[in-house]
Amino acid sequence: MRSLRNAREGARALASSKLRTFFMMAGIIAGISGLTVVMAAGRGTEKRVMKRVNAFGTRAIMITAGGGKGFAPPQEGVTTLRPEDAEAIRTQIRGVDVVAPFALGRNMSIKAGSTQVQAMVMAVRPEWHDAWDWHTTDGEPIAADDTATLARVCVLGEMIARDLFGNQSCVGEFVQIGSTRFKVKGVLEHRGPSPQGDEFDSRLVVPLTTGLRRLFNQDHITNIRLKVGDPRQIESIADEVRLLLHARHHITPPREDDFAIFSAADIARMARGISGTLTYLLMALAVLSLLVGGIVLMNILLISVGERKKEIGLRRALGATHGDIFQQFLMESLSVTGLGMIIGSLLGWAISIALDRSGLWPVVVTWEPFGLALVFCLAVGLFFGIQPARQAARLSPVEALR
Amino acid sequence: MIELEAIEKTYDGVAVRTAVLKGVSFRVARGEYVAIMGTSGTGKSTLMNILGCLDRPTAGRYRLDDTDVADLDDDQLSRVRNSKIGFVFQQFHLLDQTSALQNVLLPLIYAEKYPEDARQRAQSALTDMGLADRMTYRPGELSGGQQQRVAIARALITDPALILADEPTGNLDSESGAEVMAIFGRLHRRGRTIVLVTHDRSVAEHSHRIIVLKDGTIAEDSPVAEPRVAEVAPDETRGQEATR
Repeated sequence: MRSLRNAREGARALASSKLRTFFMMAGIIAGISGLTVVMAAGRGTEKRVMKRVNAFGTRAIMITAGGGKGFAPPQEGVTTLRPEDAEAIRTQIRGVDVVAPFALGRNMSIKAGSTQVQAMVMAVRPEWHDAWDWHTTDGEPIAADDTATLARVCVLGEMIARDLFGNQSCVGEFVQIGSTRFKVKGVLEHRGPSPQGDEFDSRLVVPLTTGLRRLFNQDHITNIRLKVGDPRQIESIADEVRLLLHARHHITPPREDDFAIFSAADIARMARGISGTLTYLLMALAVLSLLVGGIVLMNILLISVGERKKEIGLRRALGATHGDIFQQFLMESLSVTGLGMIIGSLLGWAISIALDRSGLWPVVVTWEPFGLALVFCLAVGLFFGIQPARQAARLSPVEALR
Repeated sequence: MIELEAIEKTYDGVAVRTAVLKGVSFRVARGEYVAIMGTSGTGKSTLMNILGCLDRPTAGRYRLDDTDVADLDDDQLSRVRNSKIGFVFQQFHLLDQTSALQNVLLPLIYAEKYPEDARQRAQSALTDMGLADRMTYRPGELSGGQQQRVAIARALITDPALILADEPTGNLDSESGAEVMAIFGRLHRRGRTIVLVTHDRSVAEHSHRIIVLKDGTIAEDSPVAEPRVAEVAPDETRGQEATR
């Protein structure tokens, strides 16, 4: 109870000089709010990364014709990626569940009656549906028969179906792709935006053989999509595939690859970019500002011990022990950091929410920064409060009253 | 009540030892009103610090209210100061940012047990000092005389065995000084033990016994034949209780 009374005396001293208290708190507020924002932004980034990876497929590897470092669409005119490469991967590499070779044709004109849209056409094998986990909601998917017979059938993305046929069912209707008529076999389920930002749902698929022969007039493919059994093996499988394709395409490393391989892990790395490093850097900065805040706090407390010699002497004369004075000053320090923590957390929380609303940075607020703030503030308050409190307690009443 | 026996106090300087008190002995009985006099440099302040348990003598024995205090450690001295001594200082020493009432409550914060009726006690102490309508005022909003009366109320709140006043009128005009001396007279009549430290003979003559210090020893210890009675303007001493 006596400690409680000492704490109240400390709080009273803080309340009576608000400006000084504010200066003591400023660094703590900056540090804690910074820490809160950085941690929330870090969480937000991680969530965005996971979203990208999920959109790409957590077990997916994509092989694209043409070299290059970024995750880009296949290069025009690269003819070295062929269906036989896909066959070789299927037979020679273990741990791959699905191998789906396909060819892309961009900006093809699609017509139904008088309505016309531009869309991306993908010529695919039946496995494609499994490789993307992307099935039909209406009608039938592309089947083995379709590729074997070069059937002129197609499956529409949800958005294209709506653009061409409105809300009525289109299965059994005909669309014209380029100059060829295709029968609509089915409609794909809704998938939303792709990692690159365009719409998955504004694509349509046709059988691989039909597409190569009748639409693109080529025998090379643009992509192979793999689905591995165990996501932990994804990088080693990607490496094996790279070696296999090197051998098949007669590439020895100084020469640039004529293909690019991206796994879910690569996508995560790219989505994270430098934000991981940046997060650590900013966190270090916030902790640094906490430390500086602590040092400022200690100095102001030390000065205030000097200024309040008379008060301390009086308290001692009236019966305060060393311990009472020590407690009072330590409680002043802890109250400042505690209050700074509350204000800093609220401020950081508000900034995080504002950052999220403004769309500048995705933010996820969790309890963790608040827990960390509590620990930090206790530590800073104790560490930087002890010295001034000791100094105050050491004053002799005779000396202080003089 | 107070027994000082051969009290010595020496300060160790860099090169020299300065003896400030060289064997001071006297007794003060319960209910006595004593003034300790001396010009500056005679050890008056040192003696007052020892009497107030703010400092320890280098040698000698000091019994206060049946407790031997010369050998107590710092925490024990704090306890003695809190429970047995009521201080009144020349500079009042009130906390600036704190109301008169909170100032009076201050010693109770360091009491062994915080009394449940602390507030009522502080209020009645202030009322007794004629400050019933000033309880929420801060020291800066009070006159010097009023501030010293707040300080006296604070000295009385723990019901101490000894009131120790160090030049209590030193910072006051003559009227406020008279007012304060009248209060001491009243406290004495109620049976309080008062030790007054002053350099001013006209102040000391309000007490009933004067001890004169000279060069760290007692030069004179004599009763006052006819103690002065502070003359006070009637409306100043009556206090709030009487006016109501």
